[in-house]
Amino acid sequence: MTEVSLLSLVKSYGKSTALKGISLDVGHGEFVSLLGPSGCGKSTTLKCIAGFEDVTDGKILFDSKDISRKLPEDRDIGMVFQSYALFPHMTVARNLAFGLEMRRMARSEIADRVARAMDMVQLTPYADRYPKALSGGQQQRVALARALVIEPAILLLDEPLANLDAKLRDEMRGFIRDLQKRVGITTIYVTHDQNEAMTMSDRVVVMFDGEIAQAAPPEDVYDRPASERVARFVGNANILDLAVADQADAETSLSLPGGGRLAVTGGADAPVSRLRVMARPEQIALTGPGEGHIDGRIAKRYFSGGHVEYHVDTDCGTLNVLCPTTQNVAEGANVGLSFDTRRLWPLPGAAHVTAEPAA
Amino acid sequence: MGLVTPLLSLLRALVYVFLLAPIVVVVLASLNAGNFLTFPPQGLSLRWFWTFLNNDVFIDAIVYSLILAALATAVSLVLGTMAALYFVRHARREAEAVRIAVLLPLILPEILTAIALLFFFYEIGIGTQYKIALFTGHVLMTLPFVFLNVTTSLQGRDDAVELAARTLGASRLTAFRRITLPLIAPGMATGGVFAFIISFDTFGISFILKGTGSAPLPIQLYDYLRFNFTPEAAAVSTVSILLTLVLVTVSNMLFGRD
Ligand SMILES: Nc1ncnc2c1ncn2[C@@H]1O[C@H](COP(=O)(O)OP(=O)(O)O)[C@@H](O)[C@H]1O
Ligand SMILES: [Mg+2]
Repeated sequence: MTEVSLLSLVKSYGKSTALKGISLDVGHGEFVSLLGPSGCGKSTTLKCIAGFEDVTDGKILFDSKDISRKLPEDRDIGMVFQSYALFPHMTVARNLAFGLEMRRMARSEIADRVARAMDMVQLTPYADRYPKALSGGQQQRVALARALVIEPAILLLDEPLANLDAKLRDEMRGFIRDLQKRVGITTIYVTHDQNEAMTMSDRVVVMFDGEIAQAAPPEDVYDRPASERVARFVGNANILDLAVADQADAETSLSLPGGGRLAVTGGADAPVSRLRVMARPEQIALTGPGEGHIDGRIAKRYFSGGHVEYHVDTDCGTLNVLCPTTQNVAEGANVGLSFDTRRLWPLPGAAHVTAEPAA
Repeated sequence: MGLVTPLLSLLRALVYVFLLAPIVVVVLASLNAGNFLTFPPQGLSLRWFWTFLNNDVFIDAIVYSLILAALATAVSLVLGTMAALYFVRHARREAEAVRIAVLLPLILPEILTAIALLFFFYEIGIGTQYKIALFTGHVLMTLPFVFLNVTTSLQGRDDAVELAARTLGASRLTAFRRITLPLIAPGMATGGVFAFIISFDTFGISFILKGTGSAPLPIQLYDYLRFNFTPEAAAVSTVSILLTLVLVTVSNMLFGRD
């Protein structure tokens, strides 16, 4: 069952176009993140869904009904803003009650629901405080409870964790995710932080320049990015540009600078002479010189507690390698690199660059 | 270093004396028992207040000024608040132009605004009839004070609060009434008090645009002082100082700074 559908959404501000035809279906109870660099149109998408901006072209459907022309107050959404947007002149309890008052609910019913919502976000002791007397994390939880207490059909969040410090951010991540699953509400979450998007979402929608580059589960976006740009945005990516030695149906054999071969599954549909493949840093292992696919020399070593990151100079350029701390090699050492060939990912779109005419 | 602090204290004391001395002198002069406006007073008495209260000309002028100030303030509050909302929330490239246009009566010498309005109203054939020119002048003079105070109370405020209210089911109007209005109310109150006092007090605009018939208090006082020099004028001034004081105190109590 589809809860939200965006159909070729276009939004222009004068001459500039913020959204260039966004199409997306969000399922009932699904948690979808819009991920992309600043200015790519994430907030604009959310504002269109919320009804703060008129769409220039395209449609927005809630439960198959076109709501593109409805006012925000008639759309049945809950929204959490980056700034929290709590009402400064109202206590926590009054903030939560506002949406219910707008629905002309009975006093006792309001009190009941507010109490339950405060309990849900563990803020009961703070009912009579004003927002400015709360910490950032507490304000965040009030904002979340205020959006959920009206039991909206859809929850929208625009970078809700951006103003919190790192530790609290990690905590809130889990908190929001658990709450969302418990309530089972269809959620669209905007962030520019790929970790946030990966850890929280059922599906990640990567956006660049007002367009969707890829919409897929986090594992797919990470392991099988739709383009080099996506690959680089959602984590560290080593891109190897290799000559094709042999191209069979399901497998492509690539020649490595040292004379070795590298077999990747998939690859280009048409015959090509070169292929760009992606290997994530943790998909490369350090071996003794000559024992891996290619040889290299450790240029830099960064210890980060959980792992060690190596920058290794090779004939394929400098590669990023992430190892467990048990594997310790000094800077300057000669090493071999072994790829996890099952996870090497031939980048789509790279093929056309050097496509040969079909024989 | 050791000399600077006492020097600054002295300077501050001098500034206060400079600001407050005329007020003290006027109040003391109004308590004068003698027949002429002199200082120090010759004996203390409230007789000139009694004279003033029985003088219809001054009573009329005070009532006239109060009504004029109240109406000008009301109109300024509406226009100034709308201008401030537009300036802070929506104006982009034209923001600076909007700001300067609203503040111009504050920047220009009052007499220039008055003369410009006089020309304008004669040009459109109304002149100083029906008090329209006078009223317009008072609104223009008071508008900047509302605009500045409301602008200040809006700036640094989160625009998203009104949007949040909308998603919670409030109409545009309800969101304004329940969320934005309470947040800018202190700014409106301060701006309104300023506007009222400025209108009650302003001379140049009233002098040029008043036309025939009853005149605001400052004009009446000026007319009076040209031919009489009794402490009654000081009594009138003292009463208007008291009115101002009451207004400021009450609004401070109602909308005290948070
Ligand atoms: N009100 C507006 N007027 C003009 N341009 C805007 C407006 N809002 C957003 N934009 C432009 O639209 C683009 C997308 O903005 P936004 O959706 O806020 O990006 P994001 O949230 O992904 O950082 C940006 O280039 C931005 O400058
Ligand atoms: Mg944004």
